[in-house]
Amino acid sequence: MSALVIVLVLLPLVGATVCGVLVKGGRDATARSAGFAVSLVELVLVAVIWGLFDPSAPTRFQGESSVEWIPAFGVSFALGLDGIALAMIALLAVLVPIVIAYTSFTRAAERFPDGPDGEPRGAGGFVALMLSLQGVLVALFAATDVFVFYVMFEVMLVPMYFIIGRFGGARRQYAAVKFFLYSFLGGLIMLGSVIGIYVASGTRLGAATFDWAELQRLAAQLPESTQIFLFLGFFAAFAIKAPLVPLHTWLPDAGAQAPIGGGVILVGVLDKVGVFGFLRYCLPLFPLASQTLAPLVLVLSVIGVLYGALLAAMQTDMKRFVSYTSIAHFGFIGLGIFAFSQQSVAGSALYMVNHGISTAMLFLVVGMLAARGGSTQIADYGGVGKIAPVLAGLFLVAGLTTLSLPGTNSFVSEFLVLLGSWPREPVYTVIATVGIIFAALYVLWVYQRTMTGPLRGEAVVGGGPGAATARALAGGPGFSDTVDTDPPDATRRARFGDLSGREIGVLAPLVLLIFLLGFFPQPVLDVINPAVSATMSEVGVADPVGPNGVAR
Amino acid sequence: MSPTNYLLLSALLFSIGTVGVLVRRNAIVVFMCVELMLNAVNLSLVTFSRINGSLDGQVMAFFVMVVAAAEVVVGLSIIMAIFRTRRTASVDDANLLKY
Amino acid sequence: MGSQSFSDALGVDYGALAPLLIVLGGACVSVLLEAVLPRVRRRSVQLVFSLAVVVVALAAVIIRATSGAGDVVVLAGSLSVDAPGLFLWGTLLALAVPSVLMLADRSVEPGGVFVADPEALAEAQERVGAGSLRSTSSGLPSGTGTDTHGVVGRRGGAGPEPTTPPEMHTEIFPFVLFALGGMLAFSAANDLLTMFVALEVLSLPLYLLCGLARRRRLLSQEAAVKYFLLGAFASAFFLYGVALLYGYAGSVRLADIAASAAGPLRSDALLFAGLALLVVGLMFKASVGPFHTWTPDVYQGAPTPVTAFMAACTKVAAFGAILRVFTVAFGTTALEWRGVLWAVAIASMVIGTVLGITQTDLKRMVAYSSVAHAGFILIGCLAITPAGLSGTLFYLLAYGFTTIAILGLVSLVRSGDGEAGHLSGYAGLAQRSPVVAAALSFCLLALAGVPLTSGFTAKFAVFSAGLADGMAPLVIVGLVCSAIAAFFYLRVIVLMYFSDPAPDGPTVSLPGPMTTVAITLGVAVTLLLGVLPTAALEWAGAGTFLG
Repeated sequence: MSALVIVLVLLPLVGATVCGVLVKGGRDATARSAGFAVSLVELVLVAVIWGLFDPSAPTRFQGESSVEWIPAFGVSFALGLDGIALAMIALLAVLVPIVIAYTSFTRAAERFPDGPDGEPRGAGGFVALMLSLQGVLVALFAATDVFVFYVMFEVMLVPMYFIIGRFGGARRQYAAVKFFLYSFLGGLIMLGSVIGIYVASGTRLGAATFDWAELQRLAAQLPESTQIFLFLGFFAAFAIKAPLVPLHTWLPDAGAQAPIGGGVILVGVLDKVGVFGFLRYCLPLFPLASQTLAPLVLVLSVIGVLYGALLAAMQTDMKRFVSYTSIAHFGFIGLGIFAFSQQSVAGSALYMVNHGISTAMLFLVVGMLAARGGSTQIADYGGVGKIAPVLAGLFLVAGLTTLSLPGTNSFVSEFLVLLGSWPREPVYTVIATVGIIFAALYVLWVYQRTMTGPLRGEAVVGGGPGAATARALAGGPGFSDTVDTDPPDATRRARFGDLSGREIGVLAPLVLLIFLLGFFPQPVLDVINPAVSATMSEVGVADPVGPNGVAR
Repeated sequence: MSPTNYLLLSALLFSIGTVGVLVRRNAIVVFMCVELMLNAVNLSLVTFSRINGSLDGQVMAFFVMVVAAAEVVVGLSIIMAIFRTRRTASVDDANLLKY
Repeated sequence: MGSQSFSDALGVDYGALAPLLIVLGGACVSVLLEAVLPRVRRRSVQLVFSLAVVVVALAAVIIRATSGAGDVVVLAGSLSVDAPGLFLWGTLLALAVPSVLMLADRSVEPGGVFVADPEALAEAQERVGAGSLRSTSSGLPSGTGTDTHGVVGRRGGAGPEPTTPPEMHTEIFPFVLFALGGMLAFSAANDLLTMFVALEVLSLPLYLLCGLARRRRLLSQEAAVKYFLLGAFASAFFLYGVALLYGYAGSVRLADIAASAAGPLRSDALLFAGLALLVVGLMFKASVGPFHTWTPDVYQGAPTPVTAFMAACTKVAAFGAILRVFTVAFGTTALEWRGVLWAVAIASMVIGTVLGITQTDLKRMVAYSSVAHAGFILIGCLAITPAGLSGTLFYLLAYGFTTIAILGLVSLVRSGDGEAGHLSGYAGLAQRSPVVAAALSFCLLALAGVPLTSGFTAKFAVFSAGLADGMAPLVIVGLVCSAIAAFFYLRVIVLMYFSDPAPDGPTVSLPGPMTTVAITLGVAVTLLLGVLPTAALEWAGAGTFLG
């Protein structure tokens, strides 16, 4: 299994190199197909590892391997999986082929910005960047060495920076630089703590090390004041990444300007690195500081729930809307983690997976809609349900999972978070519950404005920005002269175009997962739970919820 | 006379040289001020040699003289070169490189 | 000291001194070659000879380092050949190889940077037709397959050239060798007088090199004058410091100063006044903090290959000397003076970072970045621990190669008659020349300290040493400055990748084999030290200074 984990890291990187070479050679289509094939192989590998993963194993990590890297700093390239890491890697492995398929093989994929030759950039370069990002992220989730984690934490910015900056929307440069600088700043603050814990391990353990398990053992010896300083360094980086509220301003820009596929991975997986960091690094390495500073994080989380929800309701741009819903969801995840109960933490871990699926679905549907209308403004659409019923239906599914309707995947995790948080943090829980109501409000309002009612909006009926795209998609110039004469719905439907078979194929796995995990989350919970229990014992807080699920 | 006085004189000369470098405009004069500083150091070295009762300081003064001579050669040639192209030796006129 | 230095005084340890003797001897021979050889053959002979000298000296360093010969003090205690000294020598000589290649290159601009008579050359090329000049200086816009295109481009230019090839100032080769010899001596000097002489030996040729460009003569000469006057000013401070320390300790040997400082004999006023003045001189050479004023002007005005040589090698030599002085002579009194140098380090980091943001010329930006980096390196120097020593040494190696690569790449981007220094010239560079843009981005990321580049490993080594030695505030300032500095590195990358090129913007020269090798070497070492730094780190941590 350890060999498989290494392959899991290397395969996308090799794939990215191959794609890059193919793109350089001018064979864009081959590159896209090769990239898709690599991502599918990666998915199969993850499935195999999932099968081999033993939830009842007594060790903290499975499939461990370690190669000495920089002995002078006590750094080893050490990999190993616990349940949470495996769940995140699996989520990534599911999303990457979907994103590649969406970008490469659907006719409605957005036009990338023009390259130097005046032609739109081919998707091959995007696929290569996406695969390299996947390789880095897998290494990040699987790292059991803090130095390796830090390196990957910084390196993952580079492909994402180019994904936004090369393939994004009109203000992509601004968004890319903002994204990079925010994250890099956070990373450097974390570097201070990384160096700090390294130095502390040198003085207290005898030999300075970056090994996660060693450092976890160190936690018992560190005085609380030191822990707080080191915790804050890690926390700053993760809070920027996960965006907690005062540090979130880069996300709406990055999310809105990133290409749809980039947005899916950015919000769906890359941001999860922040919450993953809370779970894997902040809590176990600095247990005393985590408990002391928990109220701070809880306040920020709850503010995030409400603030994200309010701003989401006010957005006029659908991609920004998706970004703000995510900020609200990250608030829930933070609440669950820092409520310190088995149920709430498990709920948060599950939430990380579910939110990835929901956001991916929502982003992709928005992307498909925008490909038809040529705009992401909510006001440009109205009554789309009449001319593209399948698209509207899937938009509704995406919306419902975002508002955590029972029966969808998000409901289970949100319910677990609230249930687990209640005994310890009733006030915050109640406030966060208000966020659920907001969620229903903003999702249904957007759905109502864009999908229901009479046909309206520039992108649907007018000669607005999307009309040309819509005509091109419909494939016939003959429709152009019917615009002014108020054509019947059937004509409009043909012009706007409902989802094609390939687009439905791209969304189908996500819809399947939404309902599957909504009714049957146990397989994921089984994998996550041992890691959650281990984290709880590392923090050293008694679980307020008894084994029978009743609060003490 | 106490050797300390020579040290004070040396410090005084060094300060005069420093101020000269900072306030004078003509490159040649600035350069002469630098030479003044070097020679102030020579005075110090010889005085310390006397105080310490070793010859090292006096030997060092010779080194400094040789080095200063070399510096003069290089410095004057650079100043000459810039004088030929600009027809001025004022350091204030050399203002192409700014911010 | 006693018996050992006496025995050394009688018999010189030629094995230990070999690299220094080879370089200085080579410099003397190079001067003779200049006098003896006919003009047409000077350049090729001098180039091959200088490279050979540097490589042989480098081989001598490697042989010495791997032979297991112990640390020795040679020449009556004036030079100390110890493990860190050998590392510094190796670094200097390794950096000299790409520097010499870039200095000698004539492909980037016609006749090279040091062409003797640009007007005559231009006229000659006018006669044979404008085509040859254009194909040489502007090249093809595509950067892929640089090598093959480059060769074709230059052949097209060289074919119909006049019978006499353009002359160049071949004096640069002995200058570089003398400067290099001075740097080697400077970083190994075990007494302050040797250090002073070495300082002048390394500085004087550099002053001249700065002023030798013929095309941008005014800028170049202005840089030379500024560098010379400020450099001489700083050496005077250094020398006064030496005199005061001699007065304090009765000797200029570093170890003797430490011994005197340990005893309660004399007033500390002389000791600390001497140290302060000494440090001013050293900081000037290393372009640290408030003593950096010459750096931007000289970096911008000097011919770019000279800037590369100076930026990389002078920094190594100067910090080598700083490390040695701090560790050997003042290690025992560190607690008393370190606070002041904290302030210097902070000033250097802040000045370099803040002023770096405001720059619009890439070479000036690199200069301010070097000031900021000097502050980071100073953190390592102030931690007088083995970790601080090895971290600093590693930083110098990493920084040197990255800087050479960056300046080599800068020299390729040209507009009209000269380099396109202004940042706006870099807009859309990725479309004109993807390879150059990618290499430059990589090096800038290395300066910013992104992991998997040498810059990160180096920063980590230095910061962890600083933190372990109780300098948490300095490390925090360093991290904050790194974050701010990332902004202006990133700005260049943004310009290159995400902006559209101006229609009459600069062109990218196709580098000849020599510049290509130099740049490739710089980029490769930057990557190697980022991914697999173990060997270099181990060598850097192989030993400590010998007093």
